[in-house]
Amino acid sequence: MKVLLEKHLNILDFALSTIWRRKQKNISIFVVFSAVIFLLASFQMLTRSLTSLAQDTLKETPEILVQKLSAGRQTGLPVVYSDGLTGIFGIKKVVPRIWGYYFSEVTGANLTVMGLDFSEMPMADQIDLTLEEGRYPEKGEAGVVVGRQVEEVLQLGGRTTISLFRPDLSLKGFTVTGRFADEASLLTGDLLVTGLKEARDLFALPRDQVTDLCVYVANPREISTIAAKISDIFPDTRVLTRSQILKTYQVVFNWRSGFGSICLLTALAAFIIMAWDKASGMSAEERKEMGILKVLGWETSDLMALRFWEGVVVSVLAFITGCTLAFIHIVFFQAALFRPVLLGWSVIQPPLQLLPEFSLADLLLIFSVTVLPYLAATVIPAWRCASVPSDTALQG
Amino acid sequence: MLIELRAVTKIYNRDRPNEVVALKEVDLAIEEGAMFCLRGPSGSGKSTLLAIIGCIFPPTKGRAMIAGKQLARLPDRFLTLHRRRAIGFIFQQFNILPKLSVIENAALPLLPLGVSPRSRREKADRLLEQLGIIHRRDFPAEQISGGELQRLAIARALINDQPIILADEPTAHLDSRLSLDFMEIMSGLKEAGKTIVITSHDPLVADHPAIDRIVEVYDGEIHVF
Amino acid sequence: MFFNSYSLALSLISLISLLLIMVACRTAFRVLRYWEPASDSNTQIQLEGEIWLSSALVKYGLALQIVSLLVFILSADHFCQVIAGAMCATGSLTANDYGIPALVVKLAGVFVYGFWLVVHQLDIRSEEYPLVRFKFIYLLCLFPLLLADSGLQTMYLAGLKPDIITSCCGVIFENGGGTTSNLLAGVDQGNTLLVFYLIVLLLFFLGGMGLWLRNNIFSALYGLGIVFFFGLALLTITTVMSSYIYAMPFHKCPFCIIKPEYNHIGLFIYASLIIATFSGLTQLLLPLARRPAVSRSVASFRRFFLVVSLVFLLVFGVLASYHYLLYMLKGGEY
Repeated sequence: MKVLLEKHLNILDFALSTIWRRKQKNISIFVVFSAVIFLLASFQMLTRSLTSLAQDTLKETPEILVQKLSAGRQTGLPVVYSDGLTGIFGIKKVVPRIWGYYFSEVTGANLTVMGLDFSEMPMADQIDLTLEEGRYPEKGEAGVVVGRQVEEVLQLGGRTTISLFRPDLSLKGFTVTGRFADEASLLTGDLLVTGLKEARDLFALPRDQVTDLCVYVANPREISTIAAKISDIFPDTRVLTRSQILKTYQVVFNWRSGFGSICLLTALAAFIIMAWDKASGMSAEERKEMGILKVLGWETSDLMALRFWEGVVVSVLAFITGCTLAFIHIVFFQAALFRPVLLGWSVIQPPLQLLPEFSLADLLLIFSVTVLPYLAATVIPAWRCASVPSDTALQG
Repeated sequence: MLIELRAVTKIYNRDRPNEVVALKEVDLAIEEGAMFCLRGPSGSGKSTLLAIIGCIFPPTKGRAMIAGKQLARLPDRFLTLHRRRAIGFIFQQFNILPKLSVIENAALPLLPLGVSPRSRREKADRLLEQLGIIHRRDFPAEQISGGELQRLAIARALINDQPIILADEPTAHLDSRLSLDFMEIMSGLKEAGKTIVITSHDPLVADHPAIDRIVEVYDGEIHVF
Repeated sequence: MFFNSYSLALSLISLISLLLIMVACRTAFRVLRYWEPASDSNTQIQLEGEIWLSSALVKYGLALQIVSLLVFILSADHFCQVIAGAMCATGSLTANDYGIPALVVKLAGVFVYGFWLVVHQLDIRSEEYPLVRFKFIYLLCLFPLLLADSGLQTMYLAGLKPDIITSCCGVIFENGGGTTSNLLAGVDQGNTLLVFYLIVLLLFFLGGMGLWLRNNIFSALYGLGIVFFFGLALLTITTVMSSYIYAMPFHKCPFCIIKPEYNHIGLFIYASLIIATFSGLTQLLLPLARRPAVSRSVASFRRFFLVVSLVFLLVFGVLASYHYLLYMLKGGEY
C-alpha cells in the first residue's frame, strides 16, 4: 500500500515536470478550460445567490395569500371573505390587500401599486423600520412609499408629490412619504405602496372588493393545514402559500439557469473535442520519451497514470481558477455578463448585492460537468500514448 | 547461464503477406560476468536479438531464459516487470531526457518502483560519484558534454543494480577517446560481476580485451567467435 | 425537469459513463472472441494492451458512478425546494416511482464496478491472466446495469413535476400517524439499537477470528453478516441516529445528514459503511474467482480486505454513534 502511494507520488512529481516541459500546450488548455469553467460556474453561482436573495427577502411575507379566480383568471375578492376566516384556529391576522400594475406611458415602465391598511399589519408599530427613510402613510393620507428605481423612472428628483392616472384618465395625487431600502430591490424596485382606500381609488375598484387577503399564521407547521381549510371554506379561491411562491421563483431561476447552461455546454463540448485532439497528438519527441520510459521499466499502466496526473493537475488548476474568477465576477461585477438572462428584460433593473455561497453541491456540480468530462476525454488518448511499443526507443 | 537462447525464432506479421523472419533458430548462451559484442549489418536481426535478450518482446518459437525467467508467452506486463529488475539499458545516442537534470535522469527507472525521493537521491548520488559526474548533478542534461552524457547513461542503466547491461551502439557518436573511456567503464563493471552485451560496429569495442566473444548476426542467424 | 443544472449534470455523467463502458465492451467482445494466450500474433498483443484500456475505463466508470450517486442525492435535496410538499431529499425521491429504484441501482453500481476492479487486480498478478474470460463476461454485464441506471434516472427526472404534492420525510419516517403509508412504521428504537450493536460486536468477533485463525469459514460468515448489517445500518441511521444528529426527534431522514448544516457527516458515515460492506462482501466473492494460478493472491486479498472492512466498520460505528452517545452522556439521560 505504501509502495503504491509512493509510486503515484513519484509519477505525480514527474507529471508536474512534464507539464512544465510542455508549457505551451498545457497553458493553452488551462486558459481555455478556465474560461469555460468560469462561464458555467458564474451561471451556477448567480442562480444560487438569486435564490438565496429571494429566500431572504420573502421571509417576512404573509404565510398564505388568498385570491379569487373566475374562469381561471384572478378577479376581485369580496372583503367579507376575511370574516369567514376568523373561525379558523391558528390564524394570527388577516389583512386585505389591493394591488395591480400601473403602466407609465412616458417611461414605458410597469409599476406595481399595492394598497393595504398598515395598522393591520403584524408588528405595525415597527413597520417604519423597513424603510430606508421616511414613514408609511397614515390612514386617510394620500401618501405613498416608493422603491428607489420608481423614483428614478418617475424622475422625482427632490419632488415629494406624484400624480398617477385613474382609469378614467383623471389624475390622483400622492405625497411620497418614504423610500424602500436598496437591499430589498429585488421585490420593491418597481413598487409603490399606499393605503387601501387610495389604491382602491386609483384603480377604481368596487368598495366591497380587494385583490387578495394576506393571512398570517402563528405556527409555521400549520400553514398547509390552514391553507387546506381555507380552500375548503372558499372553493372559488386560489390559496397560495409562501413556500409555493418561493418555489415558483426558484423554478424560473432554475429553468433560465438550465437553459443558459445548455448554451454553455456547447462551449464545453468544443473544449472537450479540443482536449481530445491535444491529448491524441503525440510529437515524435513525446513518442520517443514514452518508448524510453517503457524500456526503462515503466508499465503501460504507469504511463497511463502519468497522463492521468497531468490531466488532473491542469484541470484542477483550471477549476480553481475558473471558480475564483466566477466568484469575483458575481461579487464585484454583479454578474454583468449574465444578469439579462436570469433577470429578464425590464425598464427597471434593481441593484443587487449578490453574495454566492460556496457549497459542496455547487462545486461538485461544476466539477462533474467540467473536470470529469475532460478527464474522460483524455483516457483513450492516454492509453494510445502509453501503448507505444517498447522497441521505439531502440530505433536510433 | 544468465542468458540462454535455444532455437529462438522471431517472426513479425506471421501469416500475413508482409511476414518477416527476423531470427531463425538461434542458439546463444552467455554466462554470468561475461561481455559479448553483437555485430551485423542493418536488417540482419541484430536489433531483434537485442530486444529479446532485453525482454522487450518474447520469441515466436524456442526457449529464451533471461536472468532465470522463461520469456516465451510472457505477457507484456511481466516482461516489463522482469526487465525493470534484470536489464539496464544504454541506448544509441543515450536517449537522455534533455530538460531533466542529471540526477533526475539517473533516477528515472526508480520512479515506478515507489522508491522515496530520499532513497532515489542517495542511490543516484552514489552512482554519479562513482562515475565522476557528481559535480553536474543539478545541471539540465542538455547542458553537459558528450562524455558526461555517456556516464549519465551508464548511471541510469545501473541505478536498480540490474545484473545485465545492454548497450546498443554506445560509441556510434563518440570520438575514440570517449569510446575507450566507455569500454574502460564497461570493463570495470564486468569485473564487478555484471553481464554485458554490446552491439557495435566499432573496432575499438569489438577488439577490446574485455570482450569475451563476438557474435556475428547475419540474415537472422548467428556465428559466435 | 431537465432544464436545470443538476439534471444536466446527471445526464452528462450518464452519457459519459455509457460511452466509456461501450468502448470497454468492445474490448470484451474482442477478447472473448480472439484471446489466445499461446499466440504472439499482432491481435493477441493488441488485446493484451487493450486490457489496460478496459481497466482504466472501469476505474473512470467507478469514479463517475460515485460522483453520480452523490450528485443524485444532492439533486434530490435541491429539487425539494421546487417540488411542492417535499421538505428534503426523501420527498423528492418519492415524488415518483423511479427515484428510490434509481438510487438503489446507482448504489449497486458502485459495488459492481468495484468488484470488477478487484477481479482485475487479481488477474494481472498471474502471468497466465487466468481470469480474463470471467472478467470480460463480467464487464459485459456492466452495460445493462448502466442502461438501467440511466433509464431510471431519466424516468425520474422526466417524471418530476414541480407542482405535485408529495410526502415529506416527516410523514414517511415519523412513528405512527400520517395518512400516507409509513415506510418504517412500528420500528422500535430501543430494539433496533440493541440488535445494531450486537451485530457490530458479532462482526468484530467473526472478523477477528477469521484473521487470527486464518479461517475461511469465519471470513465467509463475516461476509454474510455484513450484507445483513448494511440494511440494518441504514435502518438504524434513519430511525434512530439521524434524529440525534438533527437534534430533532421527528426528523428522521437518511439524506439530510449529508448537508453542510450537519458538517456533511453523512458523507463520512455512508462512505465508511460502503467501504466496510464492499470489503466484507469480497470475502464471499473472491472464492468465486479462485483459480490455481491466483490462489495465493486470493488469500492475501481476503486478508487485506477483511482488515480494511474491520477498520471501516469501527470508523462507521464511532461516527454513527457519536451524536447519540453524546446526547445520552451529556443530555442527562443517565
